[in-house]
Amino acid sequence: MIGLVAAAGLLAGGAVLAVILPSNRARGIAAILTQALACALVVGVVVPILRGAPAVTGLWHLSQPVDDVPLRVDAVGAFFLAWSLPMTLLGTIYAVGYLQPWFERGRNGAPHFALLNIVALSFLIIYAVQNVLIFLLGWELSAVAAWLLVIWEYRDQKTRFAGFNYLVSTHVGLLVLVAALMYLHGQTDSMDFADFAAVLGVPGGGRSLVFGLVGVAVALKSAFVPVHSWLPRAHAAAPAHVSALMSGVIHKAGLFVLLRFVLLMRVPDEWMGWAVLAMGAGSAVYGVIYACVERDLKRLLGYSSTENVGVVAIGFGVGMLGLAWGDSTLAALGFFAGLVHILGHACFKCLLFYGAGAVHRAAHTVDIERLGGLARRTPATAVLFGIGALAISGLPPLNGFVGEFLLLAGLLDGSAPTAASNAALVCVAALLATVGALSVLSMVRAFGLTFLGTSREPQPGAEGPTVPGAAAVIPMAMLVPMGVLALACVLLGVFPTVVLAFMPPVVGLYGAGTSGPAHLLAVLQSASAGLAGAVVVATGIGGARGEGARRAVTWACGYRLPTRRMQYSASSFSATVAALFATFLGTQTRVRLSRRAMPQRAGSFDLSYVDAVERRIFEVLGRGEAFFVRSAVAVPEEPRFAFAAGLAVLLCMAGWLLSESTL
Amino acid sequence: MTTPLVVLADLAAFALGPILAVGVIQRTRSVWAGRRGPPILQPWFDLQRLVRKTAVYGHTATAIFRVAPWVGLAAAIAGGVVVPILGVAPLLSFPLDFVWLAYAWGLGRAALMLGALDTGSAFEGMGAAREATFATLVEPALFLVFGALSLLTGQHALAGLLAVQPTSGGDVFVWGASVAALTVVVLIEGARLPADDPATHLELTMVHEVMVLDHSGPELAAIQATAALKLALGIGMLAALLNPWSGDQGAIGLALGCNLALSLGLAVAIGSMESLAARLATRDVPRYLLGAVIAGGVALLGTLWQGAA
Repeated sequence: MIGLVAAAGLLAGGAVLAVILPSNRARGIAAILTQALACALVVGVVVPILRGAPAVTGLWHLSQPVDDVPLRVDAVGAFFLAWSLPMTLLGTIYAVGYLQPWFERGRNGAPHFALLNIVALSFLIIYAVQNVLIFLLGWELSAVAAWLLVIWEYRDQKTRFAGFNYLVSTHVGLLVLVAALMYLHGQTDSMDFADFAAVLGVPGGGRSLVFGLVGVAVALKSAFVPVHSWLPRAHAAAPAHVSALMSGVIHKAGLFVLLRFVLLMRVPDEWMGWAVLAMGAGSAVYGVIYACVERDLKRLLGYSSTENVGVVAIGFGVGMLGLAWGDSTLAALGFFAGLVHILGHACFKCLLFYGAGAVHRAAHTVDIERLGGLARRTPATAVLFGIGALAISGLPPLNGFVGEFLLLAGLLDGSAPTAASNAALVCVAALLATVGALSVLSMVRAFGLTFLGTSREPQPGAEGPTVPGAAAVIPMAMLVPMGVLALACVLLGVFPTVVLAFMPPVVGLYGAGTSGPAHLLAVLQSASAGLAGAVVVATGIGGARGEGARRAVTWACGYRLPTRRMQYSASSFSATVAALFATFLGTQTRVRLSRRAMPQRAGSFDLSYVDAVERRIFEVLGRGEAFFVRSAVAVPEEPRFAFAAGLAVLLCMAGWLLSESTL
Repeated sequence: MTTPLVVLADLAAFALGPILAVGVIQRTRSVWAGRRGPPILQPWFDLQRLVRKTAVYGHTATAIFRVAPWVGLAAAIAGGVVVPILGVAPLLSFPLDFVWLAYAWGLGRAALMLGALDTGSAFEGMGAAREATFATLVEPALFLVFGALSLLTGQHALAGLLAVQPTSGGDVFVWGASVAALTVVVLIEGARLPADDPATHLELTMVHEVMVLDHSGPELAAIQATAALKLALGIGMLAALLNPWSGDQGAIGLALGCNLALSLGLAVAIGSMESLAARLATRDVPRYLLGAVIAGGVALLGTLWQGAA
């Protein structure tokens, strides 16, 4: 426990140092060094827990108004701590490279680096503190710090709007969470999470209410449909490493809360499992459909986050059903799959956002319709982004497949008590397979149109239509974190049994044995290693077939002078799939075409997709407002009516207060 | 179980099956067209000819273009080892191996699509988009079928699923719907009619072929070998599902012979269908695939009937 307290002190000290040091370089170094030391300390504490040692506990003596604060890191908290801090460290290293152009223009990086340290500090609070009040403080700290990090380019009105959008969403979630925790505090008269088990462990209305409230809070924090729309906005506006940090690490706090409450419930009701499963399935499908059609690379990755938390929630839903049915094999598969996918998503989503930042550095845009050919301008970014894209598509032998494999094993287990439940789980498996195929489409589109072919915009200094343009220089500070994450994606995919070294105690907390997943992972490891070997051989053959070969113009039905704009475009690529799912998509087209037989000016056609759920929410809100305005207009404008209404309200309130006080 | 003899037979089927499948289909088409047609082993000669040729690459192509066909072939083999191509025993069998098969082939598909996009062509992206879109409808059909068969048999490995022997009314229901759905999936994966035509000459209507317009020489050979292998494995899978002795350890010879005969029959049937049926318009293909998804759903409903009985 000393290690965690020292780490917290280091992080706070680093934040102070980042503010007082004179140069951006020194600030960055201070933040990186303190975070690296804090990581080492935290890893030293959590690794024994993840290897099966008992939970670490401590007591933090505080005076009024909180009294003593119990600290406790069990396996679940340890699991989240184990990767959250290193991921933040990688983001901070990336920030040094990514923010260089701003620093050169004289921007002060002090608040930014201090906030990155504070985000790391907030993880320590969220995952280790058992006192509700301090926990909420940490929750709020991470939300506000993330907001301030998002609005780095605060001069842009769109960025400010995205920031406020996020701030409002996260605080609505906070309110709901506070309501749930207040109810529990009222029932148990305690501020300690562990004491809540007394209420949560008993089936009944109170527990259902709390579960519903926590579900809403989790949905808002982790961006589940239909309350996800703040996420793509915020991710498109924020600097790349902040998007990565939010998407890969900060949002996972929502899933942590879900896990924590399931743990306190011991045996959840069956409907809760189905509810989480449905919430996850809805998010996965909706998120991936938008990831297929979105043309802004960072918004696309944002929607893909909604998809991936959906996949994780399907896993947790299966785990909860397993607990409800008393089927420990199913529970183990579900929770294992969810946790593996959380770790995997943290790796490849951060990698992809870093890649999007590198794309922005090289091409000054992230609009896929205007990109292309970056693989020849920055091959290193292309390779790393490509690994991330294949991993997030859930393809073997990379780590995205491991979680999906375990999840499908759970869904197709066929051990549910009724035939109908079994059939429903098979349906979810088919849905998950569809999501996988759609996610392949979205990532092939994102990677292929961004990095392959040739740029869709004319490049300065490149005359011919197929000449890529000057090489783009991506600093090592950006490439190294990407390399580390890509390596993690490959290693966790080719050697999936690695997770067995630190995950069984986490799943064990739920009373689930891990022999089932362990067996599956061992089998998968041989298969993955075989496929990886085959791919390496294949790459060797392809690579050895050298550059010396003959080159010719790309086939275009015999046409020999193709231009950049003749390449297949991003909206064409997703046109058929968009038509298939048109019900869920809101389209926005801007057409300027001449109707004359001999057009004098070049016409234009612009297609983009807007979030249908968000648009619908605003429509309903607008209609409600219109209704109230109409009603208000209908009431005659008389002072005495207003006076009478006010008096009536006051009387009611007074009467209610009096009746309460007499009781 | 898996005796060395069976392993040898499986390996031989892996090597010869793709050539024979394509050769038989081509010969059947020739016969229907009133021609004598090429020898059955013509696909083998074609591959040899392609391997000897020098490849030509497009100006925009990077290493991905050169690597993709080989990755596709590797993925097709690595995924295909779990298929009981002779209806006896696959080379490798483990729980949930059909998930492995679907996702490994997904990797090969993704590699081929990236290779197509690497050319910066106006046409090849179109093929990649179609392939990706159709895959989103193939996957649910496949998983509904395998999920239903898994509930029916209580097995979790592909060989066990395909060895299902329908006995009662519910069984037949599940089995019939599975055969229907799997047939569509196999025809799509093998890039055959009515969704795709390997012999078409119009870029705008191609699916698989338009992705490989720029590939030549050994790369094209790898792609054609991949397609033939997937077709042969698909036919083998379908035959194993139809085969009444499939997976029967007591009658290995019977199972093997029946599977071979069924595979041959299926190849002839595919060739005849390709000669007699017209290609679907590209806009109608999603509907054809939805039919497969619905068949998969029917199979799943059949397990409910089974459960009630």
